[in-house]
Amino acid sequence: MIRTTLPRLLSAALLLTLGLAQAQKVDTISIGVAVAQTSNTALLGQEQVIGAKFAEKYLNARGGINGTPFKLVFQDTGGDEAGAINAFQNLITKDRVLGIVGPTLSQQAFASDPIAERAKVPVLGPSNTAKGIPQIGNFVARVSAPVAVVAPNAVKQALKLDPKIKDVAVLYAQNDAFSTSETGTFQETVKAQGLTLSTVQKFQTTDTDFTTQVTAVLNAKVDLVIISGLAADGGNLVKQLRQLGYKGLIIGGNGLNTSNMFPVCQKLCDGVIIAQAYSPNQGSAANQVFVKEYTAQYKKAPPQFAAQAYAGVQVMVEALKAIDRKKKLTTWDVDDLRIELNKQILLGKYNTPLGLISFDKEGEVIQKEFYVAQIRMKDAKNGSFVYLK
Amino acid sequence: MEASQLVQNLLNGLAIGSVYAIFALGYTLVFSILGIINFAHGAVFTLGAYFTYTLVVGQFENNGLLKGVNLFPDGSPFSGQPLTFALATLLGAVGAGLVAVLIERLAFRPMRSRGADPLLALVSSLGVALVIVNLIQLLVGAEIYNFPSDAYGETPPALSFTLGGNVVILRTVQVIIFAVSLVMLTVLGFVIGRTKIGKALRAVAENPGTASLLGISVDRFIVITFFLSGFVGGLAGTLVGTAFGVAGPYFGVSYGLKGLAVIVLGGLGSIPGAVLGGLVIGLAEAFVPADYSAYKDAVAFALLFAILLVRPQGLLGRSAIQKV
Repeated sequence: MIRTTLPRLLSAALLLTLGLAQAQKVDTISIGVAVAQTSNTALLGQEQVIGAKFAEKYLNARGGINGTPFKLVFQDTGGDEAGAINAFQNLITKDRVLGIVGPTLSQQAFASDPIAERAKVPVLGPSNTAKGIPQIGNFVARVSAPVAVVAPNAVKQALKLDPKIKDVAVLYAQNDAFSTSETGTFQETVKAQGLTLSTVQKFQTTDTDFTTQVTAVLNAKVDLVIISGLAADGGNLVKQLRQLGYKGLIIGGNGLNTSNMFPVCQKLCDGVIIAQAYSPNQGSAANQVFVKEYTAQYKKAPPQFAAQAYAGVQVMVEALKAIDRKKKLTTWDVDDLRIELNKQILLGKYNTPLGLISFDKEGEVIQKEFYVAQIRMKDAKNGSFVYLK
Repeated sequence: MEASQLVQNLLNGLAIGSVYAIFALGYTLVFSILGIINFAHGAVFTLGAYFTYTLVVGQFENNGLLKGVNLFPDGSPFSGQPLTFALATLLGAVGAGLVAVLIERLAFRPMRSRGADPLLALVSSLGVALVIVNLIQLLVGAEIYNFPSDAYGETPPALSFTLGGNVVILRTVQVIIFAVSLVMLTVLGFVIGRTKIGKALRAVAENPGTASLLGISVDRFIVITFFLSGFVGGLAGTLVGTAFGVAGPYFGVSYGLKGLAVIVLGGLGSIPGAVLGGLVIGLAEAFVPADYSAYKDAVAFALLFAILLVRPQGLLGRSAIQKV
């Protein structure tokens, strides 16, 4: 009995394996979203989940992919590289998605994007702003403008607000690739503007007590403090700087560009200058519709991370629409469609809430409009980013 | 090093050291009775802060299942009676103590009753910690919450003076944490050293079998130990939360590893050792130059390693006596 059954089972398993190894036709139109839903990074990832889900609902309500709805498949990356790799592998091999929007952190992207590159699956970074992300490979692009473009605007704006600024302190989270990349840009800008870099202080994104750094800043007697970190540590740093007596201007990097910072430093967030790649005040029709719908649903203006995640999904959807118009998506093999989608993403121009964006041949986003905002707190909990001309 | 820098580092070290110390007190209590590390202590620490925040504010407005739910429509859990921050802190600590008791029931007692290896209990407590942390995030999101600005975290610095042209600062909340950790050390020392409960606890720690034969309800005293441990952990969570904000569901986890280093350095099972270990590690971290402060964890653990080479039993631990 066993002798006759076993070879049959083995041959059936072999046939099944061979069948699976063959090319698969597109069944459902799935786009992967790999962002941080747990860990400290979830503070940013939560906003991205909201932005992506909003895009799914909004774009499907308007016909999806030429009448066919698409589906987002979410995978939690956590806050570290291992989590991002795991999420990417699941999306690529288990969920068989056509493309991936993610991960949340540049630090994670350097680890997980090569996985997608090897599998020939297009990736759109929604918030990876470090130097070198598009250069990871042909299948990697980003909708998030690099810090080298955005950050200098904030320093120039600070000098407009206070032309007497001379001495500057720079603080950054040295365990985060994006922050170390951003601080490099800030430090170059400081020198290029003829300012003195009085002290450079390092910290970790997991730190909560910044007394050491704050006292060093106070003793350096600087006129401007520039912080590159994430919302939790950055907000705490702002709070402790103010509590311990620093009265000068503060610039926050991209990681502080979220209303999640408001509960951290509360009223002490007031006056912090932030360079932004997105503003709810951006006047394009696409953005105004997005802001109106988002505000109606979530009772607050959309933050940058939500807008960028929305833009990431929108780019994927519009590229798939363009392909579908030439040849129905359901007639493609998944692997071939992934390659075609990657080509199409780089060819198109997209009217997103970020404004009109496109990509260069490396996958770097081409975006014209950037903003500088200043945080204005109404009370301990509620504040807004006020756009500075 | 300038005099101002030296004084500032000393104050910073004592302040952060007392945070580690108060965290490690709860850790070491459980170890001294059961001989196991409760990895869920970091999650209990976090819960203490969240409980206090709930009692004081009553609403989580950002994310999670409880988003926008007003838990106390009349502004207080006690039908409109305003709750002082100190009372909310105590109630939050009691809540954390009760959760610690629940953890004992779910994660430790079943293992103990089956005579399982202590390593299994440790892994089980790690699992409980992850469940609690993720449950917090599910309910209230990953956002940071700050206590209202009238809580003592927002008060002006307790100490601020100039020394050699440089400013030296000590925050009020740091003084409070330091004072509370010393008070807790004294109270726990008194309870364990001078009361009937303490005697019974020491008997259980020495030999649970013999203690049981003497009429001591071992399970009951283990529950008391867990409650005390959770209470101290929850109190520490609120105090640290007032100093730095309730930094999301994971904010206690980062203290877990440091707390472990503290109790090993101080001497496993030694309550004064936990305080001394906390202060030593805090001071070691504080004296790392500001430009290299990102490496302070490495310095703290290198110090731990160096001290253990000389004193394997820790600073105040006792060498195990083996009868031959």
